[in-house]
Amino acid sequence: MIKALVACRAGVGSSLMLKIKLNEVISEHDLPVEVEHKSLDGLPGFNGPIVITLSDVADELKEQKIDKVVVGIKNILDKDEIYTKLSAALKEVGAK
Amino acid sequence: MIEKIIREDLIRLHVKANDWKDAVRLSAQPLVDDQIVTKNYVDEIINSVNEYGPYFVIAPHVALAHAPSKAGANELAMGITVLEPSIKFHNDDNDPVSYVFTLSAPDSNSHLKAMQELVYLLSDDNFYQVLSDSQNPSEILQYIKDSVIKQEIEK
Repeated sequence: MIKALVACRAGVGSSLMLKIKLNEVISEHDLPVEVEHKSLDGLPGFNGPIVITLSDVADELKEQKIDKVVVGIKNILDKDEIYTKLSAALKEVGAK
Repeated sequence: MIEKIIREDLIRLHVKANDWKDAVRLSAQPLVDDQIVTKNYVDEIINSVNEYGPYFVIAPHVALAHAPSKAGANELAMGITVLEPSIKFHNDDNDPVSYVFTLSAPDSNSHLKAMQELVYLLSDDNFYQVLSDSQNPSEILQYIKDSVIKQEIEK
């Protein structure tokens, strides 16, 4: 299983909704992903390779050049977008 | 669950805002009036957008205005504001915003079920039609209640 962190600034709203949609996508496509959910403060303590967040937070993380594959989702209701981007990230970390 | 945290007096229809900040303030006002959130909580929502960008515009035309609990979320509740006309939040992918859901969550777990129900509602195209066409908050609340029952049956 590949660990992925779902995070947003507050950790109570958008990331929680994103986690719900992500889990739907993961079970529908049977992806080898285990999702953790935290606010961005939890990022330093996270030891998996993938971070999933909303696109503008993702842009910021990419600028900080953190040592993770960062996935930015524009529309958290769009399962196709989530699936496409998550698959690409899995490929990048060598899981698929 | 969600039908309990969205109360009729927290729903505002046909709201005219000048810009996104005004839209956030107008949407949060009923929650401030009921002391569900502090004024600081609303300031914090606006400050974080200034700092991090419009991170809570989560889907086309939909904003989930919220801040970390410690900013002043006293009670679990959600407000709905329908903006007319829609307003740009400077989120190129999802602008303009017509529907603002203002969330107050005192902790990060107790509202999981409500958020699941909200995700279901937001995946239902008809919900947006109801939000835009309703003349009365009670119609929206009734639609939400019916949706929750439908979700229970589908499980």
